Amino acid sequence: MLFYLLRRFALAGLMLFGLICLTFTIANIAPADPAVLAAGPDAGRSQIEQARREYGLDKPLPAQFLRYVSDLAHGEFGRSVASGRSVGRDLARYFPATLELCLLAMTIGLVFGISLGMLSALFKDRWLDHVTRIFAVSGIALPPFWFGLLLQLGFAVWLGWLPTSGRIGVSTEPGEPITGLLLVDAVLRGDGALFNQSLSYILLPALVLSLPCLASILRVNRSEMVEALRADYITAARAHGVSPWRLVTVHALKNALLPTLAIIGLRWGWMMSSTVLVETVFDWPGIGLYAVSSAIAGDFKPVMGVTLIVGLNFMLVNLVVDLLYGVLDPRLRDA
Amino acid sequence: MGITRRAVLHGAALSTLAPGMTWAFDRDSSRKILVFSGNQAVPVLDPHVRYDWSTRLIQQSVYDGLLKYVGTPPRIIPWLAEKWDSSPDGLTYTFNLVGNAKFHNGDAVDAEAVRYSFERGLKLNAGVAWMLKDFLKPENIVAVDARTVRFTLDKPFAPFVSYVPWWYIVNPKQVMANVSEGDYGRKWLTENAAGSGPFKLRRFDANTLIHMDAVADYWKGWPMGEANRLSGVIYRIVREAAPRRAGLQRREIDVITNMSPDDMSQLAKLPGIRNEDHAGFTTFGIKFNCQTGPTADVNLRKAIAYAFDYEALITIHNGGARLMDSPFPPDMESHIAVPDMPRKDLDKAKAFLARSKAPNGDLELEYVHVQGLEDARRIGLVLLDSLRPLNIKLNIVGQPWTTMVARGSKPDTAPNMTSVYVTPVGIDPDTIAYQYHRESWGLYYGMSHYENKEVWAMIAEARGMTDTQKRLALYAEIQRRIVADQPEVFGMIPNRTWAMRDYVKGFEFSPIRFTGEVDLYPMWIEA
Repeated sequence: MLFYLLRRFALAGLMLFGLICLTFTIANIAPADPAVLAAGPDAGRSQIEQARREYGLDKPLPAQFLRYVSDLAHGEFGRSVASGRSVGRDLARYFPATLELCLLAMTIGLVFGISLGMLSALFKDRWLDHVTRIFAVSGIALPPFWFGLLLQLGFAVWLGWLPTSGRIGVSTEPGEPITGLLLVDAVLRGDGALFNQSLSYILLPALVLSLPCLASILRVNRSEMVEALRADYITAARAHGVSPWRLVTVHALKNALLPTLAIIGLRWGWMMSSTVLVETVFDWPGIGLYAVSSAIAGDFKPVMGVTLIVGLNFMLVNLVVDLLYGVLDPRLRDA
Repeated sequence: MGITRRAVLHGAALSTLAPGMTWAFDRDSSRKILVFSGNQAVPVLDPHVRYDWSTRLIQQSVYDGLLKYVGTPPRIIPWLAEKWDSSPDGLTYTFNLVGNAKFHNGDAVDAEAVRYSFERGLKLNAGVAWMLKDFLKPENIVAVDARTVRFTLDKPFAPFVSYVPWWYIVNPKQVMANVSEGDYGRKWLTENAAGSGPFKLRRFDANTLIHMDAVADYWKGWPMGEANRLSGVIYRIVREAAPRRAGLQRREIDVITNMSPDDMSQLAKLPGIRNEDHAGFTTFGIKFNCQTGPTADVNLRKAIAYAFDYEALITIHNGGARLMDSPFPPDMESHIAVPDMPRKDLDKAKAFLARSKAPNGDLELEYVHVQGLEDARRIGLVLLDSLRPLNIKLNIVGQPWTTMVARGSKPDTAPNMTSVYVTPVGIDPDTIAYQYHRESWGLYYGMSHYENKEVWAMIAEARGMTDTQKRLALYAEIQRRIVADQPEVFGMIPNRTWAMRDYVKGFEFSPIRFTGEVDLYPMWIEA
C-alpha cells in the first residue's frame, strides 16, 4: 500500500512539473509582446522598455523560467502585466466563486445523475429509459455557451424570474467573506435574503455546468446498474427475500458506484475547465472568467496560473480517485 | 425529457417566489443609483499609470483635472484651474486654481498637489507620461503660491494645454501615506483613489463592478441640482453583449455600450429605451507596410486605395459611420477635407497598378486585424473582394492585439496591411500628425513605418510653433502630403453609440472621450 501511495505521489509530482514546463512554453511561444500591454495604449518606446525591465521580460527565457519556478515554489504566481497585481492574490479572490459554482453543479449532477441512472436501469427499455437517453445525449452534445444563452433568454428576459448574469445584485454588499462561498456564508450568518439572492444568481450557471456531468454519470450509472441487477448475487438476495428497495439501493447501487466514481473524478476535472465558457456567459467572477479576460488581453501570467490550478485540480482528483479505488478494491493495491 | 422538466420545475418553484423577494428587483429600492455596463474591466485605476475608455470613465469621476474637455466639437473649459495663460515664447504656462476645491478627505486642492501630481506622472513614466515627458522636467513645475502653479517647458510645445485635462490631480498626503518601496503609491492607487472628483470610490472589484458614491458637497456643485443628483453610480462589467442587452431590457442596467450596429438597430425599437448615436473621433485605417514587401511601392498602395470599396464601410455600420476625408478626423483643429482623397475607381486603380512593380497584380498580401473584432474582419472581406479585379489575393489573419503590435514593431515583421483604430487623445493636430513621424515607427499607430523626411520636418516644426495661423497652414499641407504618399487606406470614423433607459437624463456627448466613455458628472435619473 505504501509503495502504491508513493508511486502515485511521484507520478503526480512529475506531471505537475510537466504541466509547468508546458504552460510556460505555450505562453512564451506566441510572438506577442507583453511589455506593450504593461506600458499602456499610447506608450512610447521608453515606457515600453521600462515596463519590460520592470516585469523581468528583458531577461533570457531560461532565466525567466527559473524565476517562474522559484516563484511557484514560494507560492507566487507572478504578476499580471495588465494590472500589476499579484496573480496569486487574484486567484485567491476568484477561486471561491468557481469552487462554489462547481460544488453546486456537482451536487446537481450527482443527485440527478445517480437517481435517474438508477431509475432508467430499473425501467430499462421503457419510456423513462428512452427519455433519459435522449436527455443524456443532448446533455453531452449541447455546447454550454449556447445552452447558457438560451437559459438566460428564457428565465431572465422572457420570464423575468432569475437575474441574467453576475454573482450577486449590484447594490448588495455581501460583507467580509467567511468561506468565500456566498451560499455557505449566508447560512453561517443566518442571512436568508442573501442566501435567496445568491441562489437566484448561481442557479442558471450551475445548471449549465452540471449538465454534461449529470448526463455522463447518468449513462455510466445506468449501464453499471443494469449489469449489477443481472448478477447472481442479486438473484440470490432476492431469493433470500431482501426487500426490493434494499436490493437496489444497497446491493446493486453500491457495486455500480465504483466505475461511476472514476467518471465523477474525471467530470470534476472537466467541470473546472468548462467554467471558462460558463463563467463568461454568466459573468461569474471566478477563475474561468479571469483566465478568459486575461487571455483576450494577452496577459499570460494569469492564464498560466489558472491552467496550473485547473491541472492541479485534475491531478488531485485523479489521485484521490486512485486512492479510493485502492481502498475499495484490494486487488489494485498490489498491482 | 425527465430531467429538464424536473430541473425546470425545480427552478420554477424557487423562482415563483421571486417577485416578493428583495433580490428579484434589487435596484427598486435604490432607483437613483445609475448602473452603467460595458465589456471592459478596469485593471488599474491609478490616473498616472493607465488609461483606456473604461478606466477613464472611473478616473474622470473620482478625480479632477486642471482643465476639462466638454461638448462637440470638443473644447477645453477651466476646472480646478479657474484661469490660465502662457508666455508669448510658448515656454511658460501659469495656472490659477479655484479656492474652494477639496479632496474627498477634506484636504484642500492646492498648488503643491498639482505640482506633485505632474511630478508623479512624469517620474512613473507610464500611462500619461508620454504626452509631456519630452518637454517638461519635474523640477520645472513650481508651486508659486497656494493657488498658482507654473510650468516651464524645455522648448515650445503647442499641444501642451490639450493634454492637461488628462493629468488628474491626486492628494499627495494620501498617496505618500501609502507608498511602499518608493513606488509613489502605485500599488495602493491601483485599487484606491485619492481624488477630488464628483464621485468617491465605495467598492472596487476590477473584474466585476465598481461602485461610486456621489460627493454630496462636491466643490463644483451639481448641474442637475442637489434634489436630482444621483446617490451613486455602479459600473458593471458584463462581457457578452447578449446579457448586457437583457440587463437593459430588464432595467437591471440603465446604460449600455459596446453593442453591435445590429443590436443598436433592434434596441431602438424597444419601448422605454433610447439610443445615443454620435459622430465619433476614432479613425479606422488599413496601414500599409511602407518599408518592406510589395506595399513599399507607392503605386501599389495607391492602386489598392482606389480599388477599395469605401461605401461598404458605411454599410457594415448600418450607416453609422463617416468616411475619412483626411488623416485627421473632422472636429480636430486644422482639419481640412483633402481634395483627391481616393474613392473607389477601378480605372485609376488599374492605372496605378500598371505603374507599380507588379503591373499584373499576381500577388498575395496579408491583412491582419485584432482577433475577435468582427467589423475589422468584415472589412477584410470587403478588401478581399475589392482586390480581386487587380488579381491580388488577400490572406485575412486575426491575431491578438499584443501579437499584432509585436509584429508591427519592425518593418521586417510588420504585415503588408494592418487594420488599426486610433482614438486621438487631444484636439491638437499634433496628436495625429506625430503618428506619421519617424519617432512613431514601431508603435501601434506607426506600423506603416511611413517615410518622408520633408513631412517629418514639417511635423516637428509645427508642434513647436506659436503662430496659430502659420501653424494651421502647415498642418493643411501636412494632411495633403500624407494623403499623397498613401501610407494607409484612410477608412472611416464609426459613430459612438450607447443605449439607455429613457429616464436617464443629462447625457452629454464629447467625441474627445474614448469609445464607450461618458462623463458621468452631469447624468441623473428622472424618477
